[in-house]
Amino acid sequence: MKLTPNVLDMDFSTVEKRVCRFIKEYVEKAGAQGIVLGLSGGVDSATAAALSSKAIGGKNVLALMLPEKETFKRKDIEDAQTIADQFQLETQTIDMTDVLKSFYQRIPAFDPVDRLCKGNIKARTRMILLYFYANKQNRIVCGTSDKSETMMGYFTKWGDAAADIAPIIDLYKLQVRKLACHLGISEELALKPSTPALWPNQLAESELEINYETLDLILYGLERFMKSKEIANQLDLDLTIVDKIKKRWISNEHKRRMPLPAKLGFRTVGNDFRLPRHTY
Amino acid sequence: MKDKIKLALCQISSKRENKAANLQKIEELTKRAKQKGAALAIFPEMSLTGYVLHDQVYELAEPITGSSVQQMENLAKKTKMHIIFGMPELCENTKATIYNTSVIIGPRGLIGKYRKMYLPTHSVFEEKRYFRSGHEPAVFQTDLGNIGLTICYDVFFPEVFRLSRLKGAQLLVCISASPAVRRSYFEILTAARALENTAYLAYVNLSGVEDGLQFWGGSRLLSPTGDVLAKGKYDEEDFVLCEVDYTDLRTAEAFIPTLRDLRAELFEKLKQYSELL
Repeated sequence: MKLTPNVLDMDFSTVEKRVCRFIKEYVEKAGAQGIVLGLSGGVDSATAAALSSKAIGGKNVLALMLPEKETFKRKDIEDAQTIADQFQLETQTIDMTDVLKSFYQRIPAFDPVDRLCKGNIKARTRMILLYFYANKQNRIVCGTSDKSETMMGYFTKWGDAAADIAPIIDLYKLQVRKLACHLGISEELALKPSTPALWPNQLAESELEINYETLDLILYGLERFMKSKEIANQLDLDLTIVDKIKKRWISNEHKRRMPLPAKLGFRTVGNDFRLPRHTY
Repeated sequence: MKDKIKLALCQISSKRENKAANLQKIEELTKRAKQKGAALAIFPEMSLTGYVLHDQVYELAEPITGSSVQQMENLAKKTKMHIIFGMPELCENTKATIYNTSVIIGPRGLIGKYRKMYLPTHSVFEEKRYFRSGHEPAVFQTDLGNIGLTICYDVFFPEVFRLSRLKGAQLLVCISASPAVRRSYFEILTAARALENTAYLAYVNLSGVEDGLQFWGGSRLLSPTGDVLAKGKYDEEDFVLCEVDYTDLRTAEAFIPTLRDLRAELFEKLKQYSELL
């Protein structure tokens, strides 16, 4: 197999159709009234929002915009609003600044310099607000994680990864960008540099220390059972780069699973207790 | 036996874990098939229960003498139809040994069953976790010709179809629960199995979504030369009427004489090399 950019090509009409069917079917079978998702102004949430709107109608999709003082960017809010208008979503804006401030003030061990711990509070606060609306209005939470960040463990455990469905989780970032364009999202937004917005000026590619054009091909090779050396040779990369990505992918599996159960009984939750998600 | 028979490829979405709803749907479509002049109605793999069952399969499996098959027998008698459908079959002599089974029923009752020989246990599939493999190909002499039953992943193994053909199958029926990402493989392989055996092949796939797994539909009738004679819609439920003309078998066999050219000694080698793999 040749690891060239075109291996990531997909028939995005088919992808759109399949994902929309997936969303619609889950909402119906769950007996939910609609969807709630966080709309950040980035390409992942814009794409998930667009697909949700196409699947069940924009009036059934509640987009939460959750700015906070430290990472606030007017452009992100404008971009989120553009998507909301374009796909006729219901919106609710909640400024998280005071909520976060309360958290910070009431945690004895809080250290403002420890930006990771602080940032994760933001991601988990967004999750709390999403699930509040899910409970209150009988909605399901639509996740907005893509395959690249999920494989890399580049997310907050029980934060941005917490959701009921994950419609774009099997698409690499470059594929999400192309799907976004296919769905009619502006190229400017589709190609906007990604950020988890946990602290000011945070950029995904800088933190991952690799661009998505390379990362996605490495991950694609790993997905297809290719060995690191083969991937490195094909992409003309130092083997240590590929090995580092591979190690990060594997070592983050704990973030993608339910808690590790201590096996004591006959059948165990999260282990060999295997049941369908819903009985219809 | 008639030269020509009409089939109904009943590409349904099963309601998971709801046998009553599925039996009702099977009944409705069988009656519709009858009204349209079909003699055989074919339903997908595990159409009785849905495919993605996990541990619930232990609750849903029932023996071939169970109430669901009896209900289907009554339906076949009442409508004078032949029906093929899929179900988790509980082995009579045990309490929890289950087969993934294709059942054929005719106007006089149960004709027979085929227990899936190749159980996919990779990717999203976990069939060996729950099912015991069947051991025999199954071909039945019926009023509608010699019908060989196969199931889904069997299509990747030409020997299953070849054995059925050698046992006399003229119409190979492959019921399936194939997810969308595998569509291209099945489109190629169903045509290949028909062509290499110069037999008709009716492929009936599930549609709909179960636990996020999307079944691609696309049911079809392949001619003995591998041509798609009729095809169901992709991804959604469909009901396709089509016709098998057994007189075409002679033409196909003469034009593509794969059965004449079979070399039995190669099968010995196949066995030998397979054991060394």
